[in-house]
Amino acid sequence: MMLKMHDINKVYQTDSVQTYALRDFSLEVNEGEFIAVTGPSGSGKTTFLNMAGLLETFTSGQYTLDGIDVGELSDNQRADLRNQKIGFIFQGFNLIPDLNIFENVEVPLRYRGVSSKERKRSVEACLEQVGLASRAKHLPQQLSGGQQQRVAIARALVGKPRFLLADEPTGNLDSLMARQVMELLEEINRNGSTIVMVTHDPDLARRVPRNIQVVDGQLADLTLYQGQPEIDSSCVVERPSEVGL
Amino acid sequence: MLDIKPILSALRRSKVGAILLLLQVALTTAIVSNAIFMISQNLSYLREDTGYPQQEIFSFVVMTFGKDIDLDQQAELDETMIRNIPGVVNSTLSQAIPLSGGGSSASVRLKPLPETSKEGHLAYFYGDENALETFGVKLIEGRNFRPEEVIFSNNFQDNGPTTIIVSKALAQSMFDKGAALGEFIYVEGRALEIIGIVDVMESAWPRADDSGTTGIIPFIHAQNYQHFLVRTEASERANVMNIIEEKMLQAYNKRVIINVEGLDESKDAYDSSDVLMMRMLIVLVVVLILVTALGILGLTQFNISKRTKQIGTRRALGARKSAIVRYFLVENALVCAVGLVIGSFGAVFLGKALMQAYSIDALTLNYVIFTAFFIFVMSLLAVVVPARRAASISPSIATRSI
Repeated sequence: MMLKMHDINKVYQTDSVQTYALRDFSLEVNEGEFIAVTGPSGSGKTTFLNMAGLLETFTSGQYTLDGIDVGELSDNQRADLRNQKIGFIFQGFNLIPDLNIFENVEVPLRYRGVSSKERKRSVEACLEQVGLASRAKHLPQQLSGGQQQRVAIARALVGKPRFLLADEPTGNLDSLMARQVMELLEEINRNGSTIVMVTHDPDLARRVPRNIQVVDGQLADLTLYQGQPEIDSSCVVERPSEVGL
Repeated sequence: MLDIKPILSALRRSKVGAILLLLQVALTTAIVSNAIFMISQNLSYLREDTGYPQQEIFSFVVMTFGKDIDLDQQAELDETMIRNIPGVVNSTLSQAIPLSGGGSSASVRLKPLPETSKEGHLAYFYGDENALETFGVKLIEGRNFRPEEVIFSNNFQDNGPTTIIVSKALAQSMFDKGAALGEFIYVEGRALEIIGIVDVMESAWPRADDSGTTGIIPFIHAQNYQHFLVRTEASERANVMNIIEEKMLQAYNKRVIINVEGLDESKDAYDSSDVLMMRMLIVLVVVLILVTALGILGLTQFNISKRTKQIGTRRALGARKSAIVRYFLVENALVCAVGLVIGSFGAVFLGKALMQAYSIDALTLNYVIFTAFFIFVMSLLAVVVPARRAASISPSIATRSI
């Protein structure tokens, strides 16, 4: 089991108001799965992503990531776990504008304390995988949006994480670029990585074997399923045959 | 891991802020090094031993308008009267007040003109056999004047003294190993035998380079305008100063007593412009350092607000809080280090320019090193607070679209 959330609550408290961003949220994600998380704006998708990626702490509940109970981890332990187990792909790419492509991709490895030689080898391999080896010395702003997202994917992959979190990875791309990025994610998933992708795009979600929907901070429904028998069958429906690209 | 290479890359690509900070650090280093050096020079001068027990001595000026007295005789009477005031240790008439900024000086030679001779500088005070005790300077060799050696005259060349007591500094400047006792020196054409050597005795111009080469000449030239020096027990000086005018006028009333002033007050007045300059330099140093610290703090704060998303992203990618703090510390240290190197060279050049323009001592390197180290530490401290604030930025900021 890669991810197991049980009765997770995230409450934002002001002086007089308690707002539940996530309420009794439970989810299990097996290793090697590719899940699309959909839902209307403000439903709690990003909060779920932040919880799953250890970017925020939860108010109550239990969360196990790759067998590690993350509830009691210190800030440093959470940072280390993010660095070692999770790859992030952000909607706005979040590349560091002052660093070139090579330097951007090697950022997670620097925080891991990987040697210079090993960093070089890994970064070059990842840039090769996303087809941007020739752009290593370019600055992010010298690349197109699709290329920037591929750099962000290379950065997410460089530390060989077992779990990828993608936040609207195609949200800022045109359809052609979006398709290229999606194909890249599918290839990564075929190579064994677990991917959880938050998206607004129903067409994109339909390409993904398993869909979950978040509404009002709760898991509303698991709609699409293909070939994952260990998922709770009550949450599984047949994938419509006409769906797909 | 300091991650210097990516920090340098980032700095190269957003130069303006870094260059401004670098220039500010360089300018501060250059100015503060020299200012601290000048302050330090000033402080060591102000703390220098002048040789006089300044708290025990005071001086005053007598302006006599009466024509019915012999000034030499009246001077002797006055000295005797002053010595009899309770608390007074001794008193002498002199043409000048030590440390006051006004006095007499002359060239001094080992042989009379026109013979070729080593020449030196002598700042001198006239006085009688009471002068040594009144000045409170320490006799380290020889003896005091005998009463018969004191000349009351108005003509130094023709009817002048034959002896002198000199300072150790003068003895050392004119004679090998300072062996001056019993030797003769020529002042204003007169041969004066050195009968005594005192330890430290500053001139009327303690700021001057050759202020220490001084002497007491046993010569009294009483005039209508003359200075008296009085030494008292330290606790009695204020009382004696309060009554001296009354006592002097009781002794003879056709005169005016003015400028009753402690020797320490005379020196304070002489030093006042230096002290003022020193205070201004201290203010300048403090302001410059504060402005630089605020500049660093402000620039770091600006950089942090500009890079909030980037910091969140770094945290999301696995940066610990300490890594974020370290990033800003290293970034600042790199910029400051370059600024400090430039500023150190600037300090040396500025020091040389000041030395040539104002004849001050050459700036010594340890002041530059101290200043550079201080500014470096201060710059790191200025970064710590905003850097810690940056480290507290939540990694979840990376997923926010605004």
